[in-house]
Parts: sequence; C-alpha cells; structure tokens
Amino acid sequence: MPTEVIMPKVDMDMAKGKIMSWHIAEGERVSKGDPLFDIETDKAAMEVEAPADGILYHTAPEGMEIPIGTPCAWLYAEGEDVGEQPAPFAGQGAHTVQPEQAAVTDEDDTTSPEHALASVDAVAGEATDKVRATPRARSLASGAGLNLADLIGTGPRGRVQAQDVENEIALRDTRPAPPQTPVAFRAETGALAVTRSKGGTGTPIVMIHGFASNAMSWGQIEAHVKHRPIIRIDLPGHGKSPKLRIDSFADLVREMRRAFDDLNLETAHLVGHSLGGAISIALADTRAKRLSSLTLLAPAGLGPDINGNAVTGICRATRTESLAPWLRALVANEDLVTDSYARLAMEGREDANLRAAQTRLADALFPDGVQAFDLRAALQRIDLPTRILWGKQDAIIPWQHALRAPGHMALHLFDGIGHMAHIECPDAVGKIIKSVV
Amino acid sequence: MHTKTDLRELSYAEAIREAMDIAMAQDERVILMGEDIGVYGGAFGVTGDLIEKYGMDRVMDTPISELGGAGVAVGAAMTGLRPIFEFQFSDFATLGMEQIVNQAAKIRYMLGGAVSVPVVMRFPSGSGTGAAAQHSQSLEAWTAHVPGLKVVQPATPADAKGLLLAALEDPDPVMIYEHKILYKMKGHVPEGHYTTPIGKAAVMREGKDLTIVATAIMVHKALDAAETLATEGIDAEVIDLRTIRPMDRDTVLASVRKTGRLVCVYEAVKTLGVGAEVSAMVAESDAFDYLDAPIIRLGGAECPIPYNPELEKAVVPQVPDILEAARNLAKGRI
Repeated sequence: MPTEVIMPKVDMDMAKGKIMSWHIAEGERVSKGDPLFDIETDKAAMEVEAPADGILYHTAPEGMEIPIGTPCAWLYAEGEDVGEQPAPFAGQGAHTVQPEQAAVTDEDDTTSPEHALASVDAVAGEATDKVRATPRARSLASGAGLNLADLIGTGPRGRVQAQDVENEIALRDTRPAPPQTPVAFRAETGALAVTRSKGGTGTPIVMIHGFASNAMSWGQIEAHVKHRPIIRIDLPGHGKSPKLRIDSFADLVREMRRAFDDLNLETAHLVGHSLGGAISIALADTRAKRLSSLTLLAPAGLGPDINGNAVTGICRATRTESLAPWLRALVANEDLVTDSYARLAMEGREDANLRAAQTRLADALFPDGVQAFDLRAALQRIDLPTRILWGKQDAIIPWQHALRAPGHMALHLFDGIGHMAHIECPDAVGKIIKSVV
Repeated sequence: MHTKTDLRELSYAEAIREAMDIAMAQDERVILMGEDIGVYGGAFGVTGDLIEKYGMDRVMDTPISELGGAGVAVGAAMTGLRPIFEFQFSDFATLGMEQIVNQAAKIRYMLGGAVSVPVVMRFPSGSGTGAAAQHSQSLEAWTAHVPGLKVVQPATPADAKGLLLAALEDPDPVMIYEHKILYKMKGHVPEGHYTTPIGKAAVMREGKDLTIVATAIMVHKALDAAETLATEGIDAEVIDLRTIRPMDRDTVLASVRKTGRLVCVYEAVKTLGVGAEVSAMVAESDAFDYLDAPIIRLGGAECPIPYNPELEKAVVPQVPDILEAARNLAKGRI
C-alpha cells in the first residue's frame, strides 16, 4: 500500500492549501522528513516534509487547492506496483464530497443550533465551489438579473443573504449607467515623441518614464542636472507619442530602440523608471557601447510580481474619483496625491484612445497581474556603471527585486518612499543622478 | 365595545371549568370522566365543584385504569354522548393509547362513516412543577402523528375555553393538551358560549424581522423575548400555533414569506417534535424561497425531565435561549 501524502492543517482557519511547488519530481526517492512540497494558505506559505520514505507518484498539480486531510500525492515502496492514482484529488470538483459525509447529524444539541449548522456547512463547504446563498437571496438575485457569484456575501462563511442582494440592487440603481463598451483601440503610426531641454553641455541624459506616466514626470529631477542636455522619450501610447500597436515587450523595446538610434548620440546617460527602467535594461543589453551610465528607478522586469489591481485600476479610471485611489497606491505618503494633482492626472488621460492603448499594453506586458517579461539575465550581462534606486514602501513592484542586481551595481534603498522616488524624494534622487552624470 | 378595564379575567383552569359548565348546562349529552375529578375536583382542581352542580351521573370518577376509562369514554361517544375524559397527567395517557390510537382515531374510518367518536380528551402536560420524569412530559406529538385525531394546545385562558367548546362541537376525537403551569395564568375570557376554531393559529404579535412559532407555555416565553428584542430594534412576529393537527399552514407560511427567518419553540423533546414538522412544512413550501437564514428549532433536551428544579429549567427552552436564537438570526450570524 502506498503512503498517502496528506495536505496538513497548518493554521486554525485553514480549509484548503494550495500546492505551490514540489521539491521532488515524480518517480524520485525521498526520505521521511525531506522537504516535499510548498503550500500556501490564506495566511502563510510553508514547507511540508515527506511523511515516510518512498518514491513519489501521482502528485497534485502545482497551483491546485487541496482540502486539508486529503491526499495530494502517494509514496510507494521500492518495487511496489505503481498503478492508477489510488483516489482522485478532493480539490478536483464539486462531486468529491460523498453525501453521507455531508449528512452530519447533531440531534442531542438543543442549546446551540449554530453549532449543528456549522458542522454541516463546514463539511459541505469544503470541496464545493457553489455559491453559498440563502433561498431569499437567490430569488431576489434571480428576479433582479444578478449573478450570485458576483456578489459579496456578508453572512456566515461568506453566505450571500437578502441584504447583500438588496444592497447590490440599490447600488446598481444609483450607479450611473456604465460607460458604453470601452473604446476600441485605434492604432496610430509615426515616430515616438522626443522632447529636449534647453541648454546643457556634455554627455546628454536620456530619460524614459514609466507605464501610464509621461515625459513631464521628470520635471523635479531635471532641476538637478540642468548642466547636461536632457532628452525625454514618451513611450508608445503615452504623452505625445503615437498610439502604436504593441503586442509584446519585444515590440515595445524595438520601438524604443529605434527612437534611441534616431537620436544618433555618440553616448548618453540613460535614466529609466519602472517600465522605462525595464526598457533601459533592454537597451543597455544591446546598445552598451553608446551608453555611459544607467540609472534605474524601481525597474520592472526583475521578477513576476506587480500590483495588477493598480495597473488595471489606473487604465480603467475614467474620472478623478476612480483614479485618485490608485495614484495614492503609487506613493508612500498619500498626501502627495492632492485632489488637484489627481484632477490634472485625469486630464492627461482624457483621451479614450490613450486609455485604450495603455489598457492593451498592460494586457500584453502584465497579463493577469504578472510581469510577463524577464530581464534578470540581461541585468546580469550589463557592464556599465549602474545604480538602482528603490523606495522600500513600493506597493507596485517589490523593492526586493533590486536584490537580484549583480555586485558591481549600486543600490539606493529609501525608507518611507513608494514606487515614485523621483517624485517623492526628488532631491535625493537628483543628487544621485548628478553624481553620475 | 369593552375597554380594557372592563375585561373579565379568569385563570386558565377557571376558563376550562367555565367551558365545561356552559357545555353541560346547554347539552345533557356532555359528561365528565376521569380519575379524582369528582369529589376531589381534579388533581389540578380544574373540574372543581362541578359534581355538586351536575351530580355523580355526569361527573364520574373512574378507576385507576387509563385504558378502561378511555375505553368507556370512547364507547360513550360512539353511543351518542359527548364525554370529556381527563388523563390526570398526560404521561398516564401512554396506558390509554390503545383506545386513543387504535379505537377513537380509527372507528369512523373503519366503519365507513357510519359511526363517529365525538370524544374530548384532556391532557395536563408539561414540566415546571417539580414532578419529575414520569409526570412532566410533553407528548403531544404522539397523538398528533395519528390521522383521525385532532390535537390542540391552548396557550391562553380564552383559547382554553374556546377550543374546549369547539372540540365538543367536533364530530371527531379532539385531544387537548393543557400546560400545567398555565392553569393559574389569568387572562381575559369572554362571557358565554363561543368557540376558537380548531386548525387556526393566532398571530400574537406582528413583526417583520423574524417569525417565532411557539406552542403552549412557549408562546408566553416568546412574547417575553419579543418585548426585549423590540428594545434592541429586532421586530419579532410571534405565532401561537394553537392546533398542531391539522396545522395552520397558511398563517405560518405567510409570516415566513414576510420575515424570511423562522424559530420554532416548543417544550417537547426537540427531535421529531412539532417544530420539526413546522420546519419541514416551510422547507417544502413556496415560502422556502423567502428564507434568508437557516431555520432554528428550540426544543427540549434529549433526556427525561430531571427532578432537580435547576436542571428541570435547563432542559427546556427559556427566554434567554429564544433571545439568543433570534439575535443570531436577525443579525445574520448563523
């Protein structure tokens, strides 16, 4: 008989655990106590050890949620016949809870009916993804044409109750009609917008802004480096650049490289923020000989994590009230985002085609809230004087991505600063850039 | 119109005695039978001095044989009398079950409607008197399970009188469960002859947040709880079921459709009791679609009624239990 590897209960409220990754491949041998797999619960991530010696088979796929106490793999003895998977994974569907399991009775419990109900529901609720809703909530939702799955249940264990449906109906009735279907993206053509500062001598500084921003965002930094010519490039679909059709990070880099090449510079200092930082890494990888230094502010591309809700929220916002909360997520000190600042930012996003272009770009670069491009290898190859600046309260991209930089690069980590160091602490950032250029 | 101060008050026991008195005065066929109901006036004094007024021929003490007494009552009813038979304690009716279940309930059916059994049986029942396990039970669900019988549980003096007079007019056997603790309870009782319809519940208090369906003494506990709940902003509707067979489906369902939440409160053992039937009736009906929370039953514990007075209280629902259940329901906590 193979040994079942059981999803353990590691915290009190846990009903299921998600298999994050297996340390051991199927068919490999493990010893009791070896790290076997990582799980993630609502609250924690942890490593689970092998319960016995054996050879691992029939592992639950990574990403699958398994109810606690049910098997997620089996360990076989040497030479033991490995046939069909002994039992399906309990996480595989709604049919895995046996009816008799759900039929918990509690006849002698006269004082706490809740207790009896809870025990029934706990069993029934574990392996079914049916929406929990009271009959009244169901009939109200059905009458109002609402999908129960879209509602947030405030009842016990997330049960949708009549009040939840009534609230949703009230909200729907007072909510202005949703804007007509999002404006379809209309692709444009042409060269990217390049703007230059007046004055300055010596090696120019090329600045590349981040996603959903534009060349104007560099204003406070420029004051510190006025002695050099400053050249700003607007990303496609941003600022004054045309809304080019961009289907991938490679497309984006191709356009930006073309714009950089068209500048025809002998050499330049490159400064990039966020997505602009990622592009700067990519440019440095192929245009190293024409760069003197690289300054990366909270660059993208060094890990999968990104605040997808903020990206989506900014893209979707059609009015100041919906944009402002996401702008505040960009910075550590929310007071920086005043109402008038948010209003100005929204004015810069009034062009529906610009929003459509950025939505499309976000979908290509950050599908499902994940950075779909990886510049870690490119970063390792860079042999330029490079500084990485990051706010330790960055809520968009974790500052820990900076730790992937090779040893010759300088790291500047700012306490109390979010994703927008060049706006949140422009003097400190300006001084660092000045010391380089 | 009477103003409230004009209303005449009687105790529940007095109201029953008055009903029997009125019936006996109006109809010579009405007779009383039971253990110690004559000279002694009944174990709970309900018959009182009726023997003085109507004599031993119409107020008959029966021997200590519930099977025999009930059998004589059923036979008397078949031959044209209108007997009212008292089981001294409803617990003792277990000894008369053959006559109730196999005879009274079946005879009209088995004789093709040729004969009916217009007997009325009274069952002093319930706990709270310190009379322990064999004298404190609430076994109304036993007889309510039998087609052919009608089963009522008056909760007020007025209904105790009205339901007894209605039972005497009914051509079939009617079982009346009287809660012993209610005998001394006073309330307004109209004068003269009137009937309370069998099979009709009473909405004792209107409310919109939840429905409490109660029987017998629990009606009063539910009303007490409802007053407290009102001070907390919870508006409870209290229904006195009054008859448990046939049950007033319409009144209960209409209330549940309105409130979406249901608590059933009854003193009998919770499992397979009246509240189970009420819950199932709602769950099977169109009122199901109006439920916004699980149904709660509050019933007696799964044990004999203890002699110890504190334990005796603990095994049946009390006002705090109703309050807790109602709060949990109204606040969406269960």
